[in-house]
Amino acid sequence: MSGSSRVVAVALALILLPVGCSQGGAGESKTKNALTIAITAEPIKWLNPANDNSSPGIEVARAMFAPLVDTDPDTGKLRNIIAESVTPDATSRTWTIKLKSGQKFQNGQAITAKDYVDTWNLTAYGPNAWQNNGFFSKVEGYDDLNPAAPAKPTATAMSGLKVVDDRTFTVRLKNPFSQFGLTLQYLGLAPLAEVARKDPKAYERKQIGMGPYKLDGEWKVGEDIKLTKWAGYQGEKPQADRVTFRFIANGDTAYNEFLAGTVDFVQVPATKKRSFKTDAPGRWLVSQNAGNIVYWAFPSYDADFANPKLRHAFSMALDRPALANLVGIATPAGGLAAPGIPGARPDACKYCAYDPAAAKKLYAESGGLHKPLTIYYNTTNSTGQIFSEALGNMVRQHLGIEVKYIGKQASEITDLATARKLHGVRIAGWGHDYPSIEDYLTPMFKSNGDANFASYANPKVDALLAQGDSEPDQAKAVAVYQQAEDLVLEDMPLIPLWHTQDAYLSAKGVHPRNSKFTGVWPLWSTIDR
Amino acid sequence: MIRFVVRRILAAVPIGLVVTLGVFALVFAMPGDPLRELAGDKPIPASVLAAKRAQFHLDRPFLVQYGLYMKDMAAGQFGSTFDGQDIGEQLKLRVPVTLRLALLANAFQWIIALLFGTYAGFKRNGAADRLLMASTLFVLAVPLLVLAFTAQYVLGVQLKVLPVSGAGAGFPQSYLLPAMALAVVGFAGIARVLRTSIVESVNSDFVKTARAKGLGEQRVLWRHIVPNAILPVVTIAGYDFAGIFAGAVLTESIFNLPGLGQFLFQAIRLKEGGVVVLLSMLAFVTFVLINLAVDVLYGVLDPRVRHG
Repeated sequence: MSGSSRVVAVALALILLPVGCSQGGAGESKTKNALTIAITAEPIKWLNPANDNSSPGIEVARAMFAPLVDTDPDTGKLRNIIAESVTPDATSRTWTIKLKSGQKFQNGQAITAKDYVDTWNLTAYGPNAWQNNGFFSKVEGYDDLNPAAPAKPTATAMSGLKVVDDRTFTVRLKNPFSQFGLTLQYLGLAPLAEVARKDPKAYERKQIGMGPYKLDGEWKVGEDIKLTKWAGYQGEKPQADRVTFRFIANGDTAYNEFLAGTVDFVQVPATKKRSFKTDAPGRWLVSQNAGNIVYWAFPSYDADFANPKLRHAFSMALDRPALANLVGIATPAGGLAAPGIPGARPDACKYCAYDPAAAKKLYAESGGLHKPLTIYYNTTNSTGQIFSEALGNMVRQHLGIEVKYIGKQASEITDLATARKLHGVRIAGWGHDYPSIEDYLTPMFKSNGDANFASYANPKVDALLAQGDSEPDQAKAVAVYQQAEDLVLEDMPLIPLWHTQDAYLSAKGVHPRNSKFTGVWPLWSTIDR
Repeated sequence: MIRFVVRRILAAVPIGLVVTLGVFALVFAMPGDPLRELAGDKPIPASVLAAKRAQFHLDRPFLVQYGLYMKDMAAGQFGSTFDGQDIGEQLKLRVPVTLRLALLANAFQWIIALLFGTYAGFKRNGAADRLLMASTLFVLAVPLLVLAFTAQYVLGVQLKVLPVSGAGAGFPQSYLLPAMALAVVGFAGIARVLRTSIVESVNSDFVKTARAKGLGEQRVLWRHIVPNAILPVVTIAGYDFAGIFAGAVLTESIFNLPGLGQFLFQAIRLKEGGVVVLLSMLAFVTFVLINLAVDVLYGVLDPRVRHG
């Protein structure tokens, strides 16, 4: 062999080497009772539900922690998990929470009322800048922990939280709030063990949970999160003995990992919404639950858009089934709350039916728009422009108006809207934190609501929301909220468009729970492989 | 020689400082509010926003921010990202990943380029030459994105000979696919330069002399032509490194490797001026060192440009 042929041989050997010794990472998830769940996001930064409101963080918290209450996936009714009872007073302002007896953290420490109260105070303390801080803004005394800058907090504990005994504590709210019990299913409210509260930083990677799974050793930076079933959990036990969360930020890559058989569960990325049924026949599912609303927001401060008839005209010029088809998997919106939410009515919106002739008539009656319609779209995601152009084309064709498009980052659009300098329409969305029609109406339509991106203000709506909030009877409360929804839909500060649903792939023999109330939960899969 | 090296390093220091300020200013000028972007659709309480802004000095004017940042860097304090990752810890995790990827990609790229370029130039218009010309044209026309996903699908999903993504299978398996993708895209330029250089050398007088002395063809090629023709190609090694780093941003994302490329992408997206400057400086220092090494190597390869 001459010198040069030797070089060629070595090079070829180097290139072909992997063929012989590959297959390393595959196969480990194939054990019957182990699940590998792909999370299509950057790895979460720490294991601390109180300081994490991202959906990947909540997904992991769902395995390691347990909520006070949750929604029964079969009936949609609220059921107790860690709580034995959650009782409002006559005005729904003071809530008494009693814990079931004998519950423990995974380090053996008993779960007491003090654990909840102390964890919640830690979360609500402004200088900690924990992500679930805002949740407690309804509790009495929150402002003392979060004064307007540059003032310093005057307290470290909210006056509204009181430990009654080992298993009981009370929460006094600033205002009556009949839906507070529903909000308690949020996993960001899970308690931290005493040792973890003393030094939260030290437990970020070896967090002590109290849910169905516990960490399998310490979680190291850059590695998957590995969990094993914890025998001490007293609630409903999932089937899988071991669960691995693998973070794959690129959705297409995660999808390919599933097709290669190395992960058992993955969310279908936007780019595959048209092909997943043929790529993985018999191994896909579509969520029965949407849990969000996507809408077109109008600037209520802009006089050009002041006439409600104009917005009704826009709304009726939109072919929602066609839009939903463009989105991929979505339900056309017929109201403000997502389908499956108690009180959601698919026909609540009178002006959401596609009727170009009526739209044109209404548009003429409204006097029309005296300038081109500016449509802002979000450049942070891949679909913002496509969907905005579809909407623009529909109103251009049916109403004969000129449209122009401006693309900006999501936070820039929000800032412009907050400063009331946004003089056009934009797509925005809202997803509920707890399954109540109230969690759609209050954030989006109450004056100064957290997600009131249209700057809408209607004293009658505010009054109805307050009335619903202080109505202890849930059925009556929902009826009051529906009246508020009707008023909002008549004013139409924003146009409901669609509810996005997600699709997932799950390995053969792995059947994730798919409920029309709570959506798809891979952790509670039935496994028959 | 030592004076030359020291002079080059000292000259790089002021350039480095300008780079830090320039990159910091560019990131500062980008639109959007990183803390709001992080919060997504959810509202973020004013007190939390204020606490976070103070923590990262975002409430201070630009030059103060830059000064505070440089002060922290000088003290060796990398701090944490806006979303709470320890930057020092991240570097410890990510530098080896990108280093492995870059070295392997370079190794593949240079082996393919040297073999291909040499034979193509030596046997001009021969089979190797035609194949090189056609394949480089093809490779230069296919975007890295398409190439990487295709390779992942064919070799990872269908044939299952290599891991689809992730660093879980260790070195070298986890790195082979991304390194090959980078190498295939990168080799074309080098191979073409080498080919041209070889073609020029083949017709030189010293080659004719070597042949006249009765030396074998392989000996003429490897002992006489290649050492003389390689000089222009070595120059490329310096700036080609920058290309590998840019390619790593995309490759690491597609192959889910927790390297510096993904870190840089995240940092730019979230306007993390500090992290972007830090990574730019890392790239800058590497760039300076590689170019220095190339210049020193010049002297070794060609006595005529040896530094006194």
